Amino acid sequence: MSTTRFVSGNLNGKAFGLITTGLLLCGAAASAHTLEKHFKVEPRAVITIHNPNGNVTVKAWTKHEVMVVANHVSDKVEVDAEQTGNRVDLRTQQLSDSVAPDDLRADYEVSVPEDAELQIHDDSGAVSVANVLGDMNVETVAAGVALEDAAGYLTVKTVGGAFQCTRCAGRLEVSSISGSFRLLEVRSYHVRAQTSTGNILFDGEFLPNGIYQLKNYSGVIEVRFSPGDSFDLNAKSLKGTVNNEAKLTPPAHPQHLPSKFGYALGTFNAGRAKVELTSFDGTINVRKRN
Amino acid sequence: MADINCKDFPDYLEPWMEGDRHPDALAHVRDCPRCRSLAEDWKIIQDSAREWGRVESEPPAHLWNSLRVQLLQEGLIRQQTAQRGWLPTWFPAVPRPVLAGAYLAGVIAVAFGLSGPVNQHINRARWLEGTQNSATPIRAQFASAETHATLPSVPDSNPTVTASLHKNMAIVDNYIALCEKSVNEEPENELARDYLFDAYHQKAELLAQLSERGGYGR
Repeated sequence: MSTTRFVSGNLNGKAFGLITTGLLLCGAAASAHTLEKHFKVEPRAVITIHNPNGNVTVKAWTKHEVMVVANHVSDKVEVDAEQTGNRVDLRTQQLSDSVAPDDLRADYEVSVPEDAELQIHDDSGAVSVANVLGDMNVETVAAGVALEDAAGYLTVKTVGGAFQCTRCAGRLEVSSISGSFRLLEVRSYHVRAQTSTGNILFDGEFLPNGIYQLKNYSGVIEVRFSPGDSFDLNAKSLKGTVNNEAKLTPPAHPQHLPSKFGYALGTFNAGRAKVELTSFDGTINVRKRN
Repeated sequence: MADINCKDFPDYLEPWMEGDRHPDALAHVRDCPRCRSLAEDWKIIQDSAREWGRVESEPPAHLWNSLRVQLLQEGLIRQQTAQRGWLPTWFPAVPRPVLAGAYLAGVIAVAFGLSGPVNQHINRARWLEGTQNSATPIRAQFASAETHATLPSVPDSNPTVTASLHKNMAIVDNYIALCEKSVNEEPENELARDYLFDAYHQKAELLAQLSERGGYGR
């Protein structure tokens, strides 16, 4: 069940001038096409978004409804929004073979129930998700991804886009080639983050029995800990350095690592969480939180 | 009380894996959970390696994709114009030997990734030879697929994305070159081999993305 409001038209003459001036003054986004749709959904609805270029903003609200507001300028694309059962599919469709890069752009603002599951594919632009507690999968090429107050099983994959997760919980798996990651105030029991040339910052909690695996090729991996944290640390950089401020109890069975490895191995307090930091020739910093 | 310690135990592993278990090694494994776990892991890997010869598994999608590009270039298959999945349509047209070759390459890639720790201790020379040889077909396949993945038939509808893919391809190529250098210098360095295979995996994914550009969103 859905309701739709669709605005489309060519702007010309005096009206165009007035509106353009108004938009320029306000700094608002100009769109020749705006689609607004509402879908009633059951708990744990699945929302899929496929957008080649543009911003995708998803926020949770308290209604059992999905609201989509999509804007695009070009006539060469259209936005499809369809419901199949408890799934809502949003897709930017290319209508012509010859499409200029700017023509592909569409921006989405989507409001979803907080237990919704998300599958988002956005090649370039930006993805932002806030307060959604269901599982989500986000894939981008160049688009950056920002999650806030998310939970569930979170998988994020970018080629070059940066990733930031603030107050995320549940299970987090993120990978990239050149994107950097910032994991802030994270309360996840399983974090796996891998990038080749990006930096990784983890400034979150090490939960008991949690597993935290951060890996890059080059760049900096920085992990911050508090005096009350409890973890087993296995930090090694094949050709780089490891700077460790945690006072570790050496392991009972020491690993035989080549002397040129930079490494820090051992247990901090009771060793309840497992922290594995690996780099090829990057720097690993294990810093005491201020 | 065992007469050997954790440091000595690897020396007993080759006969151990062949069923010849020295009393000192047996005594040590009884007392040491770490070495017991190590022996169990090796047994699992050994069993898995035997299974590879018997079980037919589907190679990863990206491997098929790289292969498809190569086959297109060689004229063995034709480009599909419809925007549906390519696999069901071109798969029957691929000659059996080519499929077998791709499958073999996939199996070798997996074997390369997994077989190191066992053979490293059991037969170092064989392991080194196998390691170096097994990487060669993958490398060659990537080189060929990369050449063809950038064919101009793909419309450049989003230069930002294409530029990002090419930039990251250059990063991964550099990463592969450095990892290969490390593996060549220190073939027994498992961490370097892990990184090399991560890099191959990333390259395969990038090639798949490059070759799939143009069908997106339609």
